[in-house]
Amino acid sequence: MFFHIVLERNMQLHPRHFGRNLRENLVSKLMKDVEGTCSGQHGFVVAITGIENIGKGMIRDGTGFVSFPIKYQCVVFRPFKGEILEAVVTMVNKMGFFAEAGPVQIFVSNHLIPDDMEFQTGDMPNYTTSDGSVKIQKDSEVRLKIIGTRVDATEIFCIGTIKDDFLGVINDPTTA
Amino acid sequence: MARHRDEYEDEMEEEEEYDPDQAIDEDDEEEEEEERGGGRRRPSQKRRRSDFIDDVAEEDDDEEEEEYGEDDEAYGGGGASRKRKNKRPSGSQFLDIEAEVDTDEEEEDEEGDDDFIADNAPDLPEEEDGRRMRHRPLMQEDEQEDLEEIERNLQERYGKSSHREYDEDTTDVDQQALLPSVRDPKLWMVKCAIGREREVAVCLMQKYIDKPELQIRSVIALDHLKNYVYVEADKEAHVREACKGLRNIFGQKIMLVPIREMTDVLSVESKAIDLSRDTWVRMKSGTYKGDLAQVADVDNVRQRVTVKLIPRIDLQALANKMDGREVVRTKAFVPPPRLLNIEEARELHILGDRKQDRMTGDYYQTINGMMFKDGFLYKAVSIKSISTQNIHPTFDELEKFRKPSENGDGDVASLSTLFSNRKKGHFLKGDAVIVVKGDLKNLKGWVEKVEEETVHIRPEMKELPKTLAINEKELCKYFEPGNHVKVVSGTQEGATGMVVKVEQHVLIILSDVTKEHIRVFADDVVESSEVTSGITRIGAYELHDLVLLDNNSFGVIIRVESEAFQVLKGVPDRPEVALVKLREVKCKIEKSFPVEVKYKHKVSVKDVVRVIDGPCEGKQGPVQHIYRGVLFIFDRHHLEHAGFICVKSHNCALVGGSRANGDRNGNSNSRYDHLRTPPRVPQSPNRFSRGGPPSNYGGRNRGGRGHDGLVGTTVKIRQGAYKGYRGRVVEVKGPNVRVELESQMKVVTVDRNCISDNVAVTTPYRDTSRYGMGSETPMHPSRTPLHPYMTPMRDAAATPIHDGMRTPMRDRAWNPYAPMSPARDNWEEGNPASWGASPQYQPGSPPSRAYEAPTPGSGWANTPGGNYSEAGTPRDSSSAYANAPSPYLPSTPGGQPMTPNSASYLPGTPGGQPMTPGTGGLDMLSPVIGGDSEGPWFLPDILVSVHSSGEETTGVVREVLPDGSCRVAIGSGGNGETIIALPNEMEAVVPKKSDKIKIMGGSLRGATGKLIGVDGTDGIVKVDDTLDVKILDLAILSKLAQS
Repeated sequence: MFFHIVLERNMQLHPRHFGRNLRENLVSKLMKDVEGTCSGQHGFVVAITGIENIGKGMIRDGTGFVSFPIKYQCVVFRPFKGEILEAVVTMVNKMGFFAEAGPVQIFVSNHLIPDDMEFQTGDMPNYTTSDGSVKIQKDSEVRLKIIGTRVDATEIFCIGTIKDDFLGVINDPTTA
Repeated sequence: MARHRDEYEDEMEEEEEYDPDQAIDEDDEEEEEEERGGGRRRPSQKRRRSDFIDDVAEEDDDEEEEEYGEDDEAYGGGGASRKRKNKRPSGSQFLDIEAEVDTDEEEEDEEGDDDFIADNAPDLPEEEDGRRMRHRPLMQEDEQEDLEEIERNLQERYGKSSHREYDEDTTDVDQQALLPSVRDPKLWMVKCAIGREREVAVCLMQKYIDKPELQIRSVIALDHLKNYVYVEADKEAHVREACKGLRNIFGQKIMLVPIREMTDVLSVESKAIDLSRDTWVRMKSGTYKGDLAQVADVDNVRQRVTVKLIPRIDLQALANKMDGREVVRTKAFVPPPRLLNIEEARELHILGDRKQDRMTGDYYQTINGMMFKDGFLYKAVSIKSISTQNIHPTFDELEKFRKPSENGDGDVASLSTLFSNRKKGHFLKGDAVIVVKGDLKNLKGWVEKVEEETVHIRPEMKELPKTLAINEKELCKYFEPGNHVKVVSGTQEGATGMVVKVEQHVLIILSDVTKEHIRVFADDVVESSEVTSGITRIGAYELHDLVLLDNNSFGVIIRVESEAFQVLKGVPDRPEVALVKLREVKCKIEKSFPVEVKYKHKVSVKDVVRVIDGPCEGKQGPVQHIYRGVLFIFDRHHLEHAGFICVKSHNCALVGGSRANGDRNGNSNSRYDHLRTPPRVPQSPNRFSRGGPPSNYGGRNRGGRGHDGLVGTTVKIRQGAYKGYRGRVVEVKGPNVRVELESQMKVVTVDRNCISDNVAVTTPYRDTSRYGMGSETPMHPSRTPLHPYMTPMRDAAATPIHDGMRTPMRDRAWNPYAPMSPARDNWEEGNPASWGASPQYQPGSPPSRAYEAPTPGSGWANTPGGNYSEAGTPRDSSSAYANAPSPYLPSTPGGQPMTPNSASYLPGTPGGQPMTPGTGGLDMLSPVIGGDSEGPWFLPDILVSVHSSGEETTGVVREVLPDGSCRVAIGSGGNGETIIALPNEMEAVVPKKSDKIKIMGGSLRGATGKLIGVDGTDGIVKVDDTLDVKILDLAILSKLAQS
């Protein structure tokens, strides 16, 4: 799920960036530092949408660095258990397939793929129904439900299922 | 509540059981009734012939009576029931095999039942009569009504009974009442043939049936008691009578069991071996020792079970044997378990018979006396030769047992039997559980409390009571897909992952690290948020370490198994995985040098590269290890080999910038090259064999810190006002450094030349020779002039010196033949000349150089590479060595008042130990330095006996010198001449009672007191200052000199 929230961060800026462009430098550094990171509480920071407030800078003893407390608005993405997501399949193997929804990697185990879909090895490993009408392979788009998440310091990993109503392939690259 | 329900059920079952008997034995009963001669019975019988309805009613009544009879018997027999029993020639009620293997609980239950029946027994017959009279007309009128009536009766009876039981929990008093008294029949212990206990019991029963005049009541054969049976009878003579003529009974000696012990005889501490079909067991002995087996049939009487095994049969040998050929017995060889293939057997001309089992009707293939079915061996073994407790079959084993035709269902179903004999105490409060057996099946809940076998759970359903007590065996841990769990036992112990699927007792988990499926039992798993891959290290090696293997190959540990590693070998472009035992790993490779990849980019660890050539083309990821031109890249999308890919460096291209090209690291790299290349070349092979942190470890750290390498290190101040103090370098300011003193909470500025940073720091328990070195400080003055020319060498050599300082010592510790040892010997002998002769020890050997290393100022940063080799030349070091002996000169300028005799430099003398002279300024009394391992440290004013040069004198310690030796005034009053004695030459005089003493150790060190008593090795001391009385070890007390 995406959220638009306000976060705060202390930015340390090197003295050489001081000057007219201080603010721009600060913001660009903030973007560089923050966008794409992941925290357990908020999930992935997708984009910074605005700066609420930049506090007073404090010069650090000894280094000359200045630290600014910055409040910024950002879009974060955090997957939740039970959430339905659309994702792109990145890899298929006999244990299931991996899909990505933005920065989040989701694994769908073969136990959580409908029983009528069988794994087919070969050049392009895929899961196919017995009649061949539905095929999950690399770059397929699937709709899945997240059943478990594991949040690490740097990434969020999810387990999903397509064994439910209205889940499964939504767009097949081969037919499109 | 659950229990009551069970009892009720039991009763219903009993009822059902009796019913068919009733029908079959109807005639018997009629006879019986006739014999009993109940007048009222006769008409009813007549009517029964004509009236079906009545028959039913009659039967109902009969049943009731029958039940009371049964129960009475179980109770132990009132006179009336006994009589009836005698008349009925059925032995079943005498043989109470069930009771013997029953659990206590069941016994209790039975007693409860008896209780109830006994209480009710008196008033029932009347009620019965009344009912009969009232109801008979109704029955004749309408069958329908009658049935309802019966139903109501039943309801009334059993509803009541269950109700009764509710408020009548058997109390202790009731239990007491059941205990045997003097009026009850006694138990007699009769000796019989070993192994024939059961047979004897059955014989006696038969005899009793044949000759009802025998006056014994029961016979008990206990499984755990060999050689004896118990006979219940009133008199010894009755027992003798019964035993007469039975050949397995040795009736000479019949012992009375005291009343008090009678209950113990029957309260069997049963192991409750719940052996039923399909239970998993393990073989205890023989060829199949340790093998998993499944119980196919149980014969409780003969104590034998038929188990299903995967045969371990050498068909060839079997064929030879059957052909009558010579069978070569190889003892060590145990054939691997394999299902029997009949076709294969036929090819070897092993022909078996096809037989049908009489009991089950199954067909078995019999070969050479062995029974096979579906390729499995069916073997009858004694119950004792199998172990039934705590069987944890692995999935592999279970897999093999699965019949080819069967799909997973049968397997999983039989898994439930796994849990019948599992070990206890694996439920914890808060665990989510699900009921897997009984009425409450599929009820979910949370564990609230765990008692012995009962688990109290808080059910999920609101309508249910707050907690339910449920037998542990009926519960299973419950997980839902998506839960993050950790495996706490079993083969996969330690692994974590997310639950993907739950199949009853079995969970399928997606491992966090390997991204593979693991099948585990729910019982082995707990919910956890931790992320591990199971065990991640053995010994010094951890998952994802680069290691050097035996045959000079290398690889990355990609999986840690219980006793071995899986290593992805450093063979580029071809994933080669080897299973490596711990001992086959030579050492960890910690260093990694930047290497050139395509387009002449330099790549170091952590840089992201893309494989642009070879089979792994397109893979991309950060470099984890670099070794011999081979890169190990970690690609998170690569699922095999834990994501590691091994490629040749020139097949890769750098993606983005290299971190190594950053500011100062780049510089240091160039420096590393010349410093570190040598160890890489196998010219010094023993470096590798050392294991542990490679010798250049320290060097790298030092180098990495560059100019400020000193900051943060602990140094010792060698000169000036703070001489001898130790502290941590806070800052380096030009020629000065600011040092935070350890002993005084302040920061002082000292000249950089006045500190030495290789302080033995921290541990006072160092290798002795190390301290020997330390004590050389006094020589420094004399060497000062040397510094100028030594500077260049020293700088570059700073690193190797450290190597030398450490590694050789390590060698010494384990390997007396290590190259270092001769040198050391020489050194001990104080023969400096020999140093020059052993040039290969140069980098490591000269201990004195260590002191120079920190004398910095002279730029100890980027030193030209040339210096290194220079440092290694014998000429230089020997020149350094020419000076080395100076400390041994008796009068060292500026030296401490120790004027040491060289003996103190011998390794092993405690004098050399914790008190490096440099620390002379430190608080001598600090107990830390005293070191507990050293025993008591001497203090001024204590009386010691000095035994130097063969004679023993008493003296008073006047002063303790920094090196541990003491200035001692000879004479008990301390008025003789003053000598300097080494600690090992002195011994504190053990105080006697009422002596004044000084405490030499512990928290009260330094305090004086009076010894007011001695108790063994403890002394009772009255401390002067506090007037406290303390009990202290005599060893830390010493007599105070009278002053």
